Amino acid sequence: MSAPLASLARGIDRVTRSPLGRYQTAVIRIGISFAWLCFLLREWPNRHEMYGPDGPWSWDMARRLTADNHAFTALVWSDSALWFETVYAVALVSSALLMLGWRTRTMSVLFMIGVLSLQNRSVFLGDGGDNVIHLLALYTVLTRCGLVWSLDARRARLRQRTAAADEHGVEGRSGRDDLDATGVLLWAACGLALAVTQVLGHDRMSWTADGPLPGLGWASALWGLWFVQGLWWCVRRYAPGEPRTVLDAFANLAHNASLLVIMVEVCLIYATAGWYKIQGSRWQDGTALYYPLHLDYFSPWPELSHVLAGNSVIVLLLSYGTVAVQVAFPFTLLNRRAKNVLLAVMMCEHLGIAVTLGLPFFSLAMIVADAVFLPTSFLRRVGAVTGRARDRLLPARTATVPAQREGDAAPRSLVG
Amino acid sequence: METDDEHDERAGSGDGLSLPARIAVALGVAVVTVAAAVHLTMVFLHVAPPNVVSKQHAAAIGDYIYPEFEQNWKLFAPNPLQQNIAVQARAELRGRDGRSTLTPWIDLSAQDGAEIHHNLFPSHTQQNEVRRAWDFYVSTHDAREQPNGLRGNLSEQYVRRIVLLRLGAERDGRPVERVQVRSVTRAVAPPPWSDEKPGTKPAYRVLSWWPVTTADVPEAKNR
Repeated sequence: MSAPLASLARGIDRVTRSPLGRYQTAVIRIGISFAWLCFLLREWPNRHEMYGPDGPWSWDMARRLTADNHAFTALVWSDSALWFETVYAVALVSSALLMLGWRTRTMSVLFMIGVLSLQNRSVFLGDGGDNVIHLLALYTVLTRCGLVWSLDARRARLRQRTAAADEHGVEGRSGRDDLDATGVLLWAACGLALAVTQVLGHDRMSWTADGPLPGLGWASALWGLWFVQGLWWCVRRYAPGEPRTVLDAFANLAHNASLLVIMVEVCLIYATAGWYKIQGSRWQDGTALYYPLHLDYFSPWPELSHVLAGNSVIVLLLSYGTVAVQVAFPFTLLNRRAKNVLLAVMMCEHLGIAVTLGLPFFSLAMIVADAVFLPTSFLRRVGAVTGRARDRLLPARTATVPAQREGDAAPRSLVG
Repeated sequence: METDDEHDERAGSGDGLSLPARIAVALGVAVVTVAAAVHLTMVFLHVAPPNVVSKQHAAAIGDYIYPEFEQNWKLFAPNPLQQNIAVQARAELRGRDGRSTLTPWIDLSAQDGAEIHHNLFPSHTQQNEVRRAWDFYVSTHDAREQPNGLRGNLSEQYVRRIVLLRLGAERDGRPVERVQVRSVTRAVAPPPWSDEKPGTKPAYRVLSWWPVTTADVPEAKNR
């Protein structure tokens, strides 16, 4: 084999053999569900005004607009208050469970349905933060984001231990006995819910139209995910050899591709944000930052805003710095140290934006998106510290929770 | 069922697999590679400034991106907003004696501002509702306040319903007959160190009176 072919083969082997960046995808999962959970709790008193059937953007208006733009929202299926409360509750509960990593695969889909249903229901309430959560909710469905820092991972570890303890028992026992009744029940319930939706004939549940991608309807997408889930269980149980390996390769492929898409997406956010800023006269003369600090809608702390905006050099440095950092970020990925420094700078800038411009959920979503580029070694250290703190708080659990599994093969240059 | 545990990593894609399995994996690699490449290309063309390729394939890109992958990262760009736009409303009330009275202009944006003031977690209802509803109205109406179709009509109804939510369907026991909305745009004064002239007087955009129907009253069932 010639050298390029050999390296291609190595690359293919790598992306099919293992899920890369499992700590990074876990951070995305935890962060984005945490942000959305906090948002839903924050807006709990306002939920009827924002998404309820009788809010200013009424159910009927939402139906007319979504019939035109074909966006997915389960909320237009019924204008009853009970259905609205149910969808909001499902969004809340699925966020919490996705954050904990309980039944990650199912929860990631329910989480996506919750995000899309609420955001697309009242699209004129959202801002950039909602947009980031929207995209990450879609991409997360295809990542294996529950491999670490999740209840799923804990269950898998415990099962492996049991299997190891049973090593001298009946051959193949651990695999056969692993029926996973909860999983089967959850899967059946999801199938039933999907079937009911389909039978009730909701016009947005088409097979080939109005879906996430051209030619792919939401019915195909959701039934497809459901089917794969069932197939996975069957193969694990009845065909643990080659079919399992092939499915595993597919799952790794989907995961790695989604991780790449998330990374490029973050780069595109910064690249275009910087690209458009460069064209603006205010960013060129270095006064840009002065203006948002004087907008009534974005100055919750006018005293702070005016102190910041009153200093011409600070305004100049922050304005130029913002553009420089945003334009430079994608290129710093070529150098690990430069990337990490810039990552820290951008996260700090977003913390500042959270307070000074009063955009906490936007900033949190951006910090989570940035976190996909955090180094694995750093994330592991954070994980270890968190684990120790948890064990100190809950000493009784220590015996049952073994240490986090090692062995991440993340590339050092990008996510490492 | 659910468990996404990792398989034994020694069993990779290449070694030890039968030919059909290797073909399946190879097909998977091809499909996923193409899908990721198409997706990223479409997203790039969608967020990049209009160019020869994105203009030529505008329909295909739109089909692919909308509605779920729509995105816009022109955050405070090319220039940040340099004006405070306040949305204000007043109502015509029908008195018991049949005579109408006018309320003074009520500043909805100032209400939002008061709620946002010293608030670590401003709600979307305070920060985005009125602000974006007005953006929506402005983007779907021409200079003669004519709506551009479905979205234009929806935006009028949306603004009306927000106004009635804020003002109430009746005030002091007198029902609201008509509402009028205007925007007041004030330029942010240039920085003190700049040699630019401070902005001119505020600009008003005054809409005509809208009669109020029951369809314009939000949460009608709760009142």
